[in-house]
Formats: sequence, structure tokens, C-alpha cells
Amino acid sequence: MAPSLAIIVKLSVYCNELQLMSLMTNTPISIYLHIPFCTTKCTYCAFNTYTHLETLIPAFVEALIREIQIVADGAEIRLPAHSVFFGGGTPTLLTPAQLGQILDTLHQRFEITSDAEITTEANPNDLNLSYLQGLRAAGFNRLSIGMQSANAQELKLFARRHDYATVTEIMPLVRQAEFKNVNLDLIYGAPYQSLATWHDTLTRTLELAPEHISLYALGLEENTPLKEWVETGRVPTPDDDLAADMYELATELLGVGGYQQYEISNWSQPGQASRHNLQYWRNWPYLGLGPGAHGYANGVRYATLLSPQRYIKALQTPLERHYPFPSTPATVDEVQVDRANEIAETLIMGLRLTVEGIDRAAFQQRFGVDLVDLHHEVITKYQTHGLLEVSDSCVRITQQGRMLSNLIFRDLV
Amino acid sequence: MGNIRNFSIIAHVDHGKSTLADRLLQLTNTVEDRNMQEQLLDSMDLERERGVTIKASAVRMNYTALNGEQYIINLIDTPGHVDFTYEVSRALQACEGAILVVDASQGIEAQTLSNVYLALEQDLEIIPVINKIDLPAARPDEIAKEVEELLGISASEMLRISAKNGIGIRDVLERVVERVPAPVADQTTPLRALVFDSHYDSYKGVVAYVRIFDGKLTKRDLFKLMSTDAKFEAVEIGVFSPTMRPADELYAGEVGYIATGLKTVRECRVGDTLTLFNNPAPEPLPGYKQIKPMVFAGIYPTNNDEYGDLRDALEKLQLNDASLVYEPESSQALNFGFRVGFLGLFHMEIIQERLEREYDLDILATAPSVEYRILQGSGETISIDSPAHLPDESAIDEIYEPWMKIQVYTPQDHIGAIMDLVIKKRGEYITTEYLDPVRVILHYYLPLSELIVDFYDRLKSVTRGYASLDYQFYDYRPGDLVKLDVLVNNEPVDALALIVHRDHAYHKGQKLVTKLKDLIPRQMFVVPIQAAIGKRVISRANVSAMRKDVLAKCYGGDITRKKKLLEKQKKGKRRMKMIGAVEVPQEAFMALLSLDEE
Repeated sequence: MAPSLAIIVKLSVYCNELQLMSLMTNTPISIYLHIPFCTTKCTYCAFNTYTHLETLIPAFVEALIREIQIVADGAEIRLPAHSVFFGGGTPTLLTPAQLGQILDTLHQRFEITSDAEITTEANPNDLNLSYLQGLRAAGFNRLSIGMQSANAQELKLFARRHDYATVTEIMPLVRQAEFKNVNLDLIYGAPYQSLATWHDTLTRTLELAPEHISLYALGLEENTPLKEWVETGRVPTPDDDLAADMYELATELLGVGGYQQYEISNWSQPGQASRHNLQYWRNWPYLGLGPGAHGYANGVRYATLLSPQRYIKALQTPLERHYPFPSTPATVDEVQVDRANEIAETLIMGLRLTVEGIDRAAFQQRFGVDLVDLHHEVITKYQTHGLLEVSDSCVRITQQGRMLSNLIFRDLV
Repeated sequence: MGNIRNFSIIAHVDHGKSTLADRLLQLTNTVEDRNMQEQLLDSMDLERERGVTIKASAVRMNYTALNGEQYIINLIDTPGHVDFTYEVSRALQACEGAILVVDASQGIEAQTLSNVYLALEQDLEIIPVINKIDLPAARPDEIAKEVEELLGISASEMLRISAKNGIGIRDVLERVVERVPAPVADQTTPLRALVFDSHYDSYKGVVAYVRIFDGKLTKRDLFKLMSTDAKFEAVEIGVFSPTMRPADELYAGEVGYIATGLKTVRECRVGDTLTLFNNPAPEPLPGYKQIKPMVFAGIYPTNNDEYGDLRDALEKLQLNDASLVYEPESSQALNFGFRVGFLGLFHMEIIQERLEREYDLDILATAPSVEYRILQGSGETISIDSPAHLPDESAIDEIYEPWMKIQVYTPQDHIGAIMDLVIKKRGEYITTEYLDPVRVILHYYLPLSELIVDFYDRLKSVTRGYASLDYQFYDYRPGDLVKLDVLVNNEPVDALALIVHRDHAYHKGQKLVTKLKDLIPRQMFVVPIQAAIGKRVISRANVSAMRKDVLAKCYGGDITRKKKLLEKQKKGKRRMKMIGAVEVPQEAFMALLSLDEE
């Protein structure tokens, strides 16, 4: 078995084979699948998603299945995977049957662990009891619902299709369908948003008692309507200080509500941290499937063709050669991550984890050097300013460092 | 000899000098149409972009006049900015005539007129030409009348042309042939040739642009420069037509070049006289001066590792620019750099831009300063060109600062606004001279330190662009001056110190602190900014601590994008200078240049 291992999930080419094996057995992969369709585009969204392409869905599902097969074939052994995440776009534009077909393929080709976390993002409008039951039957055990806000005007500004009532109505059905792990996404730092409306959104979110809450600071992304509106003065520029106040308010309210923060943007009820999220932050391997998805496996970061049409076409064409793991005909931008970049990425991801931070022993094992020795100057600087804390076991950001994390990250890239 | 004409073109920026030169080159077939490009004589990118000639150049044209005779016409181009007045005067010295180009809607401007005076001092024949007559706003008759009143040349005979549309170009050449005197030259006396410009060529050394007044020069001669005593054999001699074309001999009256093989332009300065080593002329040509820099600034690499690159770049620029002087300087705040002396602010801007563009350096320039003379208690006088070097107040008996004589040309409706501005800048009124019933020249004395800050911009703004300005050094005068220190995060920053008049110290301190507060980005901690005279803090403001700097949602595990964004932001921050633990942007060091902006 040993010879084939070397080509599989090479977490780090610098580990000796023994370490690699131990890391291997301890570290199943995660799988991200990108569903690039939306009925309408949200005004802040710069993700790879398309409206009016829903007619492509059947061909897309076939292509995605094909992609899964090709990646799995490249790996030579059935790789263990312990989380699957359908993101988008709007995965719930697919039927439970289509989603189930994709999941079935994953089960055939990968060793999906019995406790795997299997999530799909969901738009509240698309959900009803039978759809939810269909998802559950297909194998999903976690939902991530794009609630974004409880405030009607904010939702209108974002061009979301739903309102707060949609979410309140759907939550009992979600529970009835036996989803025991639900995330709600919220956005703060938006134009017009006030501390009062944010307080209201948080309170109402807590009333819905999700197991997990993600809070995203609104970023004005290139080529989005919202950015254009702000630049042309049609919409006020969001105030960073107010956003910081919102973050502090959220930290307080969610803490009181019994949620534990485990990452800069993520809170959960005890024991409900998202395994899929953690995979990214720990800089562990994950496959990215579907148009515009990103993956990191076998020491390679890669992306997939952005255009759904070109993606489908690339996967319809008969294979002309063997694609070594994790490549497929739809793969673009493959970059072998060198040691320096692997360290930088491990740090900018890992330091987002507010509780575990960077485990010094794990870092030492992975890179053969102590983190505090390696980045002595930067660590001391931010320790002095109270943004980082260092113990024998780990390096992590402080409460104060959470909203200023980019300062640290910039010095580490 | 009788068929040589040497002339230059005097014009205000944008009045059409380069366009007219282009047309003359085309009409005389000096440049084939397919090789023609706009502003042909302005070879630097910077010159084309700014529409200003920075270096002089020369070109020889052959012209068959309407009388059937063949003429050699040498056009000597001159720099177009008051910082380069000396170079202009030497270029004019090489000519017998000058075309004065005046925009048919704008009329004559200050620097144009001062160049006309320079030309008159050299006894040049002035040929006024009213340009841009095709523009809707053109009022050629009025402008011609104005020029007539200024120069006493009959308005009726002034040429009216459009260089852009090629109207009246041949008339200009005919007028040059007719009016500009042929050079008076004696080929039998020992060689005297005026160096009116030069450039450095890595193969041929310094190439001197020369006008031969007496004698002749051949490639075989041994030469010397009369003021620097530099001796050399010619690598090549020739004429510009318009590129360098070798020739065997150049005679009195002609304009051409001589490649000297010399290694620095300092050995071959503008205004120097070239003669034969073995048969030298008894006297040099008149007018040579070694010009001194008036404005000084610290130039530092943003990244300390680039110190050597900056030194090399300055060395290379100096090869072509004898007026650029520099010496190493160190600053507590900015580490190692150079104190660089310039002819004026424009010269400084040009050098800065060339360092950044041609040498790809990230540099940081401190606010410009002038040279102060300090009479110390000990009786000794010292000169300082950086506020950081001002001795302790107790050691100073008197501080002297350079004053300029300035002339402001303006429509008379702006006199009040200009008066207010000059008084604010500590100026003193001398007199008002009426050019015509509506246009005046205002004469003042003004401290150079005020002139180099934002005087010109302010002047343009209070007169809606109508005023123009000329100035000359006047004298050193004592002043009640003090050093204004700036403290960032409680540390004095030497590169931000200023010398100001005591009466202005409070006001300027306050403005500077406010400005710096806006320019310095928020840091992890509160940053106090203070202005102080001696130990006394006169103004204070805080940059509040930064509270949010996080990334939004990570898109589908796209860590590469996230990392690239951070790297891009980090690169942006490299242009910042660390002062203690505070990141200070480049603009902060130039903040005092815009303190009086409303």
C-alpha cells in the first residue's frame, strides 16, 4: 500500500514518509461542490454564479458526476472523505434527486466516513417539507441557510428573494425533516445598516436556535452592483468603525446566547463547529468540484473552469489521457505549493481559528520548525500590541486581534 | 556664411512652439513625413506628456527660399521653464534671431516676456508670430497690438499663422531668412565655440552642443574648455539634421556638436567656451556662470535596500544635468538618502519623476527647503539647506533667508487677490507697471521659502489661471524664523521639521498637524501628532486606532485569491515609511506644500 500512498494526499512533501502516513490516516479529505446557478444575483455577490442558465442543470449534473469519477480514478485508491459541502450559487435549484445522484457517486468513489458532515447551502425560498425530506433522504445532514438579515430593507438592498418570515416559516419544517445541524449566514457592515437593526437581526436569529451562525463582514467586491452604487454615491459607504461595533455586539450577544466562537466569522453551539470549515482553516486537503471551484490536494492548489458551458463541454469530451490526481479536463491554474507558501497559507488560515489557533507541535511536525522561531519578529510585534497570544502549545489571535487580523496576515504572506 | 540663419523659438507653454518646430522640419524636408511624430524635438517621454521642453536641442534645416537661394537654418530649441533661465540665455546667445510665438487668444505671458528680454539683451532680432488664428477665441489684431506696445514692432507686419493647420509656415521661414542677420564670424581668429547644451552618450562621452563664433574646428584638433580647463580630443564632430550626422569641419557661424569623450557634464558646462588647446583664444565668450541650486530636498529610497540603486540613478542623471547636485544625508526617520539641490521646484519634480519612471525606484522626497545662512553667537556664519540642521536657538544670532524679486503678469481685475496672497506669503510690494490699460506687471520681493511652497498654485487659483510669474534671486535678508518640529507618536521626525516665520508658526503648526492626522492611516494604536517650537507643543491631534481590517467570506476555499489580496495590500504598504512603529505615507512628507489650501 505504501508506494501508492505517495501520490495521494500529499499533505506536505517535507514530511518523511512515516509522518505522512500518520497524517494521512488522521486526515481524510473534504469535498466542495460548486453549483453555479442562481435565479437572481445578490447585489454584493462576486461568486461564480449565473442566472438564466437553469436549462443547463441536467447536463451540469452529468458533468459533475463525470468530474467526480475522473478525480477518483486519478487517486487510484478510495480516498476517505469526512465532509462534503454543496455551495454556490444556489444548490437548492437542483432537485433532491439530482443532488442525491451526485452524492451517490461520491459514496461510490470515495470512502465517505460514517460520521461525515454533509452540507448544502440553501435558499429559504426553495425549501418546503417534501424538498427538505428529499435532501435528508439523499444523505444530507446539515443545512446552511442564507438568511443574511432579518431586516426587510437590508434584504431588499441585497436583492434577496426572501424575507425574515420565510426563514421563520421554514425552520420548523427543517426540524421536522430531522436536520439537527443548521447554519444561518448573516451579513454585517452593510450600507444603511445600524447597530439597532443588527441587534434586531441577531436577536431574531437567536430565536431560531440554529446550531451554527456565520457572520460575514460585507466586502464591496469588484463588478458588483453594490460596489458601483457606493462608488457613484447612490448608496452610503459602510463605516468600518460601525462594523467593528457590530462585531463586538455580536460577540457579546452570541456568547450570552450560548454560542462558542471558533473562527473569526463562525460561532456554534458546543460541539457543532463545521468540520468542512475547519478543513480549510487547518489547511488540510479538499477537492473542489464544479465550475470555478478551488481545491487543494496532493500539494497542489487548483481551480476549475469558470464557465459552466465550457466546464460541461470539457467533461463531455472523451478522455485522451490519464489525469493524475487531482486534475481533470476541467482543471485550470494548477500551482504546486512550495514550502514557504504552504507555511504562509497554514498561518493565514490557522490564525483565523480563535480557540485552537496554530498548534505549535503540529506546525513543528508539519514543517520541521517552531513557529515562534520562524516568525519571531512578527509574532513579538503583534504580541506587544495585544493582537496575538503565545503559549507553549499554540499561537492564536486575541479578542482584539479578531477585527484586525489582516494586519497580522499581511506580515505573514 | 551669408546664407546661415541661427534662431530659436520663444513661447509660453501650449502656445505652439513645438508644433511650429514640427511644421518647419516638415516644410524643409528635414524629417520625412513617415518619420514625423509630434513634438519631435522633445525626445523625453516626460517632455511630450507635459508639453514642455526640458532640455535644449538643435536642428539644422536646408531651405530654398523664394528668392531661389539655399539657406542653412539652425533652430535652437530652448527649455520652457523659469527654472532653466540660464540655459535659455545661453541658447539665445547662440542665435541671431528669435521667433516669438504668441497665442492669438491668450496673449503674451510672464515667462515669455522675460525670455524676450533675455533675447533683447543678446541683441537678437525678434520676429513676433501670432499663432492659433484659426481658433474661435482668437483675437489676433488685439494681441498683435499688445505685442506692438510691448516691443515696438509694428502690429500690421506681424505674421498670423496656425502651426497646427500649417497656415503661414513658409512665411515664417521667409521672414527668418529676411530678418535674422547672418552670423558675423571670423574664421581666422582662434576658435571660440559656445557650449549651449550637452548630453551624455555612453560611447562618445559628453556630446557638447556648440555654436562656433570664431575660427573653425576640425576633428583632428586638440580642444580645451576655458572655464573648467578640461582638455580633450574630439571623438566626433557633426551637425543635427535632426539626428547626429558626422562632419569633418565646423566653421564660425555654424551650429553643431562635438563628442568630447569627457566622462561628466560637469567638465563641459553650459555657457563654457570651447577653444583650441594649442592656439587658445585670449578671452572666453561672455556670460558664463556656474549656476547654483536654489531648492533642496531629501530624497530617500522607500526601501532601504535601494540606497545603492538611488545613488547610481542620481549619478546617471547628473551625467546629463550639471545643475543637479547631491550629497549623502541620513535621517533618523528615513535612514540613508541624499540631500539634493535643484534649480527650482519644476526641476525637482522632473528629477523625482525621472527617478521613479526611468529608474523604477520607489522614492520618498521631503518637503523642499532653501539655503539659510545662520550667523552664530560665535561670529561664524554657516549655511544650512535642511531644517534638521538648524542649530539650537541659543546659538543663533540671526537667520538670513533668500529673497526673490518676482514679477506677476495679470489682468488688472486680480490685483487685489494677488496683493492678499503676497502679503500672506510675507511678500513686499515694489511697484505696478501697466502693460496696457487692462494688463499689469506687479513687482514684489518674496522669500524664496514661500515661493517654493505653493505660491504658484495659489496664484493660478486666485487669478483663475490668468496670472503668470517670473522671478530672480534678489538677496539674503534676516528674518524672525523658528524651527517647527513635528512629533509622531511622541518621537520628533527630523524629515518633517520646518523653518517658518515666528508669526506663522502657530497657524502652520495647526494646519500641518491636521493635515498629517488625515494623511497618516489609522494604526493598531492611537497615534498622537504634535507640532512644537523648542519644548513647547503648539498643536496636537490624535489618529484614532484602527478597529476593522478583516477579509470577507472565503470564496469556496479560494485561498489563493485571499493570499493575493493580502500580498497586494502589503505591496501598497511598502510605499509607507516606518517611523518608530508608525506607518507614514509618502504624502505626509510633502504635506506642508499644501497647508494653505482652503
